[in-house]
Amino acid sequence: MSFILGTSLLAVVTALACALPGAFVVLRRNAMLVEGIAHAVLPGIVVGYALTHDLNSPWLIVGAALAGLLVVLGNEWLIRTGLVTGDAPQGLLFPALFAAGVIFITLDFSHVHLHTHVVLVGDLNLAAFHQLSVNGVSIGPRYLYVMLAVLAVNVAFITIFYPKLKVTTFDHQFATVLGMRTRLLNTSFMFLVSVTVVTAFHAAGVILVISLLVVPAAIAHLISRRLSVMLVLTALFAVVGALAGFWIAYALNAATSASMAVFFGLLFIAVAVIDALATRVRRYRRAGHAGIKGLLVRPPHEEAERLDGSSPAPSPQAAE
Amino acid sequence: MSTAPIACRARNLSVAYRAEPVLRGVNFSVPLGSVMGIVGPNGAGKSTLIKAMLGLVTPLTGTVDFSGRPLDQVRRRIGYMPQSTSVDWDFPTTVIDLVTMGTYGELGWIRRPGKAERARAMAALEQTGIPNLAARQIGELSGGQRQRAFLARALAQAPDLYFMDEPFQGIDAKSQQAMVDVLQDLRARGKTIVMVLHHLATVRDYCDHVTLLNVSVVASGPADEAFTKENIRTAYEARDGAEAFLATAV
Amino acid sequence: MDLIEFFGNHTFRMVFLGTSVIGLVAGALGSFAYLRRQSLISDVVAHSALPGALLAFLTAVVVLGVNGRNMLGLIVGAVATGTLSALFANAIAARTKIRIDTAMAISLTFFFGAGMLLLRVISDGSFPGKGGIDDYLFGNASVITIADLVTSTAVGALALLLMLVFWKEFTLRTFDPVLSTVLGFRAGLIDTLMFTTIVIAIVIGVKAVGVVLMIAFVVTPPAAARQWTRTLPGMVALSGVFGGIGSGFGAYLSIMLGNVPSGPVIVLVLFAIFLISLLASPRRSVITTALHRARAREALRRALLAEGTDR
Repeated sequence: MSFILGTSLLAVVTALACALPGAFVVLRRNAMLVEGIAHAVLPGIVVGYALTHDLNSPWLIVGAALAGLLVVLGNEWLIRTGLVTGDAPQGLLFPALFAAGVIFITLDFSHVHLHTHVVLVGDLNLAAFHQLSVNGVSIGPRYLYVMLAVLAVNVAFITIFYPKLKVTTFDHQFATVLGMRTRLLNTSFMFLVSVTVVTAFHAAGVILVISLLVVPAAIAHLISRRLSVMLVLTALFAVVGALAGFWIAYALNAATSASMAVFFGLLFIAVAVIDALATRVRRYRRAGHAGIKGLLVRPPHEEAERLDGSSPAPSPQAAE
Repeated sequence: MSTAPIACRARNLSVAYRAEPVLRGVNFSVPLGSVMGIVGPNGAGKSTLIKAMLGLVTPLTGTVDFSGRPLDQVRRRIGYMPQSTSVDWDFPTTVIDLVTMGTYGELGWIRRPGKAERARAMAALEQTGIPNLAARQIGELSGGQRQRAFLARALAQAPDLYFMDEPFQGIDAKSQQAMVDVLQDLRARGKTIVMVLHHLATVRDYCDHVTLLNVSVVASGPADEAFTKENIRTAYEARDGAEAFLATAV
Repeated sequence: MDLIEFFGNHTFRMVFLGTSVIGLVAGALGSFAYLRRQSLISDVVAHSALPGALLAFLTAVVVLGVNGRNMLGLIVGAVATGTLSALFANAIAARTKIRIDTAMAISLTFFFGAGMLLLRVISDGSFPGKGGIDDYLFGNASVITIADLVTSTAVGALALLLMLVFWKEFTLRTFDPVLSTVLGFRAGLIDTLMFTTIVIAIVIGVKAVGVVLMIAFVVTPPAAARQWTRTLPGMVALSGVFGGIGSGFGAYLSIMLGNVPSGPVIVLVLFAIFLISLLASPRRSVITTALHRARAREALRRALLAEGTDR
């Protein structure tokens, strides 16, 4: 397998492995929590490397993923104390963990050859460097198979628990009444997200991992009316973005993961704008209007929807 | 108190938020086949009472039983219709998908909803009069249609005991009529219904039993005995809204 | 090394003073972000300051032909892109069905990705003064010059002055947004002002602390100060003190330890202050509240059980 093919395959597989659980992250409103997880796994990786000397060791992956889970559980604990308000609990733990990771790296604590720079953006080409070969024939980067395994686990988890994930994400109180163990499902899911973040880290770095987890799913959310459709579109956008970002970076000799992050952002903007325009055109066709002028004004009933109380206002899950 | 068999009962049920009691020593029982309205001022703990009975909030004291059995043994027979403000209406799901969720309690680890579940969901939609909306995304529904979809989901659970949290909130006349028809049908089939009601004026139309609640139970029993001027005044502590209501309605 | 020796060293003095000023300003102004429950947007703003700081560098070097690491240029560029990123996130949340947390993540990765692309452009090109430009990521307090210190102190003081001048408006807007609108304060204007001061507090830290960890300077001191205080002036003051002293002490520690970047050490010091506050402040700490609450709940439970058996 050629290096380019192997590396672009790695980009695609990594994007898919992140984006699929990302659909649920977006719907559960955990995007910024994932930002915290992505930073917090750093000390886990450094310490894990000191113990295992293998960045792809399953022990390292599980250990570092537990550090990510620490952010999730710590965040829940901080909220439960009732002493820290608003979204601050999510912003308190991860900088400290990340700072510890940076200090470990600069002290060369574990002789892990991570540049703090690489931590943020990853290095796809470096991740693809170790090639596997069978009988002297290259079968692509070793890391590709690690990511394939993570992708398989994610797909299996989502497939098996699809009905449960769907109903707990949409209405967790209803799921509890049905007798589902929502807390266990939630913690398992976040652990899986954490594992995904740890493994995708070398190729993608902190920032692109967040981008891969959140943005394809957000783009799909804009135009999906059903969850199954949203998952398919999420996968589609992830593949398109990964390939486009990879080739743009290759053509311009720019940083791969940064290109992907920017490309995903632009794709989001494009789809959001097109979707908004299409909605407006549809409305005006239906209302029998013609002419471009009407397209520029917000239709009056859109405002009315917002005021009648049943509009999609943020819904705090207060006890009463 | 009547001697009819009891569908569910709360004994000395208390719930505290931090150290503040939201519910205090609540005792009440719902006779089998009755429609029990839970009524009280804002902050009286009406929703909390339902949530405590369904195990959604942990009680500080007290127990709940369902014909003598704990919640975990009877979950399949309980239907729940939450307040419509409690979910994300932009969630990518269609009305039929939403209603099918009502059947998920019976799915095991591996099974997924199939034709039988879809058919049940469709039948529930027909009962509430919105089968034509099955393919709509839930956010495209009006307030009344949303409530009807939620009611259909509870129907799809095929329970014997229904808990409904403000089912008539933000609803149009047509949807209201459709829902009242469903409730009457359920009652005729001997189902038990517990519902939180916000508007005092509608209580007598829908309920044969009433529990007046203001953190603790003011009165509970058949509507004629419990839903009296005296009890309403006590429950509402002579708040303006109740005074206005008392002046006109009862 | 004793304190006299420490402060006798020009670089050490700059590191200490520079980070203390950053900590003080960010701590004080972060209180408003904290109380308005918008702490995380500061993470977006900080990350998004990167492309602005780098654009300012490029503009200075290529167009103006002056020193690209000029503090004022950096601040102007970072404020511009930082503000844009927050507006972008809010626009997504307001105009699409995407919620604010996802919108923040989209904005953050987009702007930061652009920053990383620019960083690559700069490090591949031949620009004077580009050495160490990637310090903007994690900061490097040892490159703070006197001019930098003066600029960031002046800009930070301006932000604090704005806060004092509009104290009444800020307070009202924080605690009772509806009332402040009813009373005729221009809500949009006050919000813009308040937000601008917070952005300034964030971007003056870019050079010394870096964009990645700046959120800790804005979120941690207020969360710690909140555990000790009951009034807004008390909280703002204590948060500023925690930020200033914590940063100074962290900088001192990092120099003492040698070869450790000061930004991450300061973050850990601030986190320690927060943990101590949370666990042990006499009035409202985890331990006292938990004890108090458990006792109250137990008393309530007994009373209710007694009531229950009376019936």
